[in-house]
Amino acid sequence: MAGTLEFQHICKYFPGVKALDDVSFQAHAGEVLAFLGENGAGKSTLLKVLNGDYQPTSGKYLLDGVEKHFQSPHQAIEEGISIIYQERQILLELSVAENIYLGRMPVNRFGIIDTRKANEMAAKIIKDFGLPIEPSTKVKDLSIAWQQMVEIMKAYSRENLKVICFDEPTASLSDSEIEMLFKIIEKLKAEDKIIIYVSHRMDEIQRITDKVAIFKDGHYVDTVKTGVVPEAEMIRMMVGRDLGDIYKDLDREKEIGEVLLEVKNVSSDYVKENSFVLRRGEVLGFSGLVGAGRTELMRAIIGADPMKTGEVFLEGQSIHNRSPHEAMEHGIVLVPEDRKLQGILANLSVSDNINISMLDQNSNRFGFVNREKEERAAEAGIRDFKIKTPSADKKIVELSGGNQQKCIVARWLSTNPKVLILDEPTKGIDVGAKSEFYQMICRFAKEGLGVILISSELPEVIGLSDRIIVMKSRQIVGEVSREEATESRLLSLGMIGEVQEA
Amino acid sequence: MNTNKKSRIHISGDKLVLMAAIVAVFVLFAVLNKNFLTLTNVINILIAASLVGLVAIGHTYLIIAGQNDLSPGSLAAFSGVVAALLVSKGVPFFPAVLITIACGILVGCFNAFMVNRIHLEAFIATLVTQSIVRGFAYIICDGKPVSISNKTFLTLGKARILNIPLAVWIMLVCIVIFGIILAKTKFGRSIYAIGGNQDAARLAGLNPQKIITISYIMMGILCSIGGIIFAARMNSGQPAANVNLEFDAITAVILGGVSFVGGVGDMGGTILGIILIQAFNTGLTMVNVPSFWQYVAKGGLLLFALTTDYIRKQKREKDLLAASMKNL
Repeated sequence: MAGTLEFQHICKYFPGVKALDDVSFQAHAGEVLAFLGENGAGKSTLLKVLNGDYQPTSGKYLLDGVEKHFQSPHQAIEEGISIIYQERQILLELSVAENIYLGRMPVNRFGIIDTRKANEMAAKIIKDFGLPIEPSTKVKDLSIAWQQMVEIMKAYSRENLKVICFDEPTASLSDSEIEMLFKIIEKLKAEDKIIIYVSHRMDEIQRITDKVAIFKDGHYVDTVKTGVVPEAEMIRMMVGRDLGDIYKDLDREKEIGEVLLEVKNVSSDYVKENSFVLRRGEVLGFSGLVGAGRTELMRAIIGADPMKTGEVFLEGQSIHNRSPHEAMEHGIVLVPEDRKLQGILANLSVSDNINISMLDQNSNRFGFVNREKEERAAEAGIRDFKIKTPSADKKIVELSGGNQQKCIVARWLSTNPKVLILDEPTKGIDVGAKSEFYQMICRFAKEGLGVILISSELPEVIGLSDRIIVMKSRQIVGEVSREEATESRLLSLGMIGEVQEA
Repeated sequence: MNTNKKSRIHISGDKLVLMAAIVAVFVLFAVLNKNFLTLTNVINILIAASLVGLVAIGHTYLIIAGQNDLSPGSLAAFSGVVAALLVSKGVPFFPAVLITIACGILVGCFNAFMVNRIHLEAFIATLVTQSIVRGFAYIICDGKPVSISNKTFLTLGKARILNIPLAVWIMLVCIVIFGIILAKTKFGRSIYAIGGNQDAARLAGLNPQKIITISYIMMGILCSIGGIIFAARMNSGQPAANVNLEFDAITAVILGGVSFVGGVGDMGGTILGIILIQAFNTGLTMVNVPSFWQYVAKGGLLLFALTTDYIRKQKREKDLLAASMKNL
């Protein structure tokens, strides 16, 4: 069993999420194995289980046939398992050699660190790797790509290195730097290491990997030989459905009415001046890269961040929201992107979570909360939004992610809003709940709400929006109608600010 | 519906453990000193608990809301001195009480200001207040205790209803009222919401800064009332009094199941915590544990409280994981 890494029935649960569910497969020495799957499919969680950052809820893993229980990443590294993360894990102020031998610098017989010897040892590895860098250079003076090389060399410098995992290693590398990385991966492969390569980029997977392990919603689907199974087939395996169908069945026919919300030259510390309008019954998509300023624009509108310039008109009336509470009273509500940090009140029940924005309406003039009224509202919310929970008294964190999100939407809908802003509403929820959300969004628009949908999933914005606004670098750069919306059009607007279609 | 109602007054396992601990402490000290379990002594425990109890009410709110307060000891001493001074200068008792409470409100506002506006950690912010207010307690009376001769004022420390001192009644009434507010009202619910997740609560339309300010003001009022009663019992306002008062109150609250992570706990637990810590303190004195060792013992009790808080947190997370898996 030498030269194998085997996972047996690995499960890792978090409240409300089965991040890994019964994952079993093997990786072999001298092979590059890709992990392929959507965000949240469980790839990163599995790496964290492997390097001792997480303890599996159940199941085990074996290295060279021996069962291992790493209690910490440190222990995993000691036993020959290294992970190269997207974010650099090195100390910028130290030299290349000091980083490579961090924590195990050679010492002379007086116990004093022997920098010269460390540099010599490092120089040997650098030469092995064929890199033009000096061991004594401070890491902060190196480019991102070189810094990554230092991390790889750090892993490589351990004689017992058996497994090396790359987590989206090319995210910030240029083409020539990627070539350099691939050469080193080839070298590691030739030296019979087990190599795991996590990436979303199909062309890279095709080029560098030998096999592809496919994950979907925390499950391991299958391992296929690279180049044998067509890309489309692999995508179908990782998505497990034909996306088009979910959108095709949606009832998107409705009346789009007069202007409901007009945003004029609104800016904050986080966004430049932006203007747009939203009509009654309209689903207005907001597309763009992560960090393009979509969330920040909405936060300025609802008063979560102070507005620096501009005006907001609701039904023709100028309004100024100094807090989310005022926005709510005006009828503008935001379902935040980060459900865990900004949405749910984890210590409270489903009922309390649904009713928290209605405390004023649900209590008498002495401030006493009317429990019965709350219970009725919670039961109604659970029914209307098909929230799967044993009872309204259950803690919200006991529900699945999708059902938690439904509680948050129920919370906001109970305030009878006119404008509903949804920020990445389907992030991290399962496919079934997703399609329920899509139907809900269409229903809200049909009932006359103005819906703003911020989404980084292109098929989702395209499949739901009547109009799509694209933001880039904290500014609106364009608008695309439902008819002319294509993924490439939105992407090119979002990435370069103009439409460049092949 | 009925089962729901029942579940709300259901006594949790944590509380049973706490009750068992109280029984154990009482049995232990009763064995060591046969005077421990007498009516007089139990009433003495309650009297001693009255000041800690008032402060612990404030801490229950603040710690559930994710805040804290280290200034109560200083503020209670300051309040006792202020009230004694005012009365000695000829101000009638009730106006003197109102002015003293106004000082408590001011201190509460100051704490809230540092937390809300300067974004200081509650621990550090209220440490500032602890020092400043203690300083003023000495400054206004020139470091000397101010004796009280006002009849009404002294009655406050001596009067008994049904053989139970007024001080105890005031604490009991406050616990009931603030317990109901915490459990039943909009404000109480908001305390839990912001303690669980301040960001989410704000986005849900609550005003965390306002809620935090009110909580600190409440604490200020409670400390002032407690300080006035304490001065009445001592027949004087003493600037050096009530050092480490917050220590006992925080220990009581944490023992009672309020968690430092915020959003968790209730007044029922705090009541048990107050009884436990005061029985413990009085018991140590009665079995002649030297006062230097009492500090060590109190530290040990707080460590015990924090450890149980940690264990409860782990257990909550484990239970939650198990429960959430059932619903997937």
